[in-house]
Amino acid sequence: MEGETRNLWQQGLWRNNPGLVQLLGLCPLLAVTGTAVNGLGLGLATIFVLASSNLVVSMLRGFIAPEVRIPAFVLIIASLVTVVDLVMQAWFFTLSTTLGIFIPLIVTNCTILARAEAFASRNPVPKALVDGLAQGLGFAAVLVILGALREVIGHGTLMADAHLLLGDWARMLEVRLLPGEWGLLLAILPPGAFIGLGLLVAAHRRLSAARPEPARSTNQVPQTA
Amino acid sequence: MAIKPVVTLALIGIVAAAVLAAVNLATRDRIELEQRRQVLQTLNQLVPTESYDNELVSDRISAWIAGLRPPSTLYRARSRGEPVALLAEITTANGYSGPISLLVGLRPDGEIIGVRVLGHRETPGLGDRIERRRSDWIEQFNGTGPDRPPGADWRSSRRGGEFDTLSSATITSEAVIQAVRSLLDWYAANRDQAFATAAE
Repeated sequence: MEGETRNLWQQGLWRNNPGLVQLLGLCPLLAVTGTAVNGLGLGLATIFVLASSNLVVSMLRGFIAPEVRIPAFVLIIASLVTVVDLVMQAWFFTLSTTLGIFIPLIVTNCTILARAEAFASRNPVPKALVDGLAQGLGFAAVLVILGALREVIGHGTLMADAHLLLGDWARMLEVRLLPGEWGLLLAILPPGAFIGLGLLVAAHRRLSAARPEPARSTNQVPQTA
Repeated sequence: MAIKPVVTLALIGIVAAAVLAAVNLATRDRIELEQRRQVLQTLNQLVPTESYDNELVSDRISAWIAGLRPPSTLYRARSRGEPVALLAEITTANGYSGPISLLVGLRPDGEIIGVRVLGHRETPGLGDRIERRRSDWIEQFNGTGPDRPPGADWRSSRRGGEFDTLSSATITSEAVIQAVRSLLDWYAANRDQAFATAAE
């Protein structure tokens, strides 16, 4: 079990990262990553939705008839996203005005449906929850890194407007890395998102090739023993 | 056998609807409160809290103004019943890449207190300099009015008028200038009505 959990985290964060390897959920991924803070906001919301949808789907896996599983999953995911949307409007209003149209977009993030179908509906609750957290965290990490990259190159700042997400103390997180008038428009516009993601995918592949996957046998020891 | 999937789906639907109804009930009041606070915060950028004594957010009317995307929302600030300022939320459809929403504050005589951008999708780095935190371009409207300076030509400098144009953002600049002008034209013709009409 120990090794299995670790494997799930490795899958989500690196080997089978939804943003860099599965290339799922590109619509929200490319749309919101203009700044690191926007990426973080959508990342947190995605982790929550992904973990809860995996949890609910796994709990109901014996109950949902296979013929209607897809509409059932869609129904569950859409409800969870609506809950997140309402809660954010109630308690993080300023953030919801910036992320506003992107929260409903989580519904279109196929990572969530993919995990529900491929993993949560076939595995027990604890594993499904870990998978949801790992995949969500992996996706959020890509959002933040791509957002930070585009923000630094496009605006010359990092973590600008962090107080909208994290409260007033976070104003000190904002740093200006490049001189005041710096700005490379390309990085902020949609092409910059594609180029940035392409570079990240390339870097990921390079690093994976340099460090081959650990031998399968180590993970399988507990099962064969 | 074939009925089971239908029942499952219906049950999930019912539970989901119940959960959403409960969450909606729990958050509705807070969301409305937050929205009002947001509106008030924006309005208070142009009129200081101590200059009026009425319930600003509720004292509002809608207006159909030629040249602007309807309806415009007008908030009236009053002190002991006397008009202090008119705060207009207006939207122009003539932006470079989508509508631009503005908040314009007018004194009762039609002088502009100030203009603020509430929302836009103009090009980052070019058109987004209409935002106050990016440049002071929007400040040029302060203290102007329909005839202030006298005979003012309400066009961008690029089109021969008196107002500065943001370089490489003529369409954006012109859209903002014309939107403010449309409001001024409407106000000149409806000055009494603007404060006298009962709040909605």
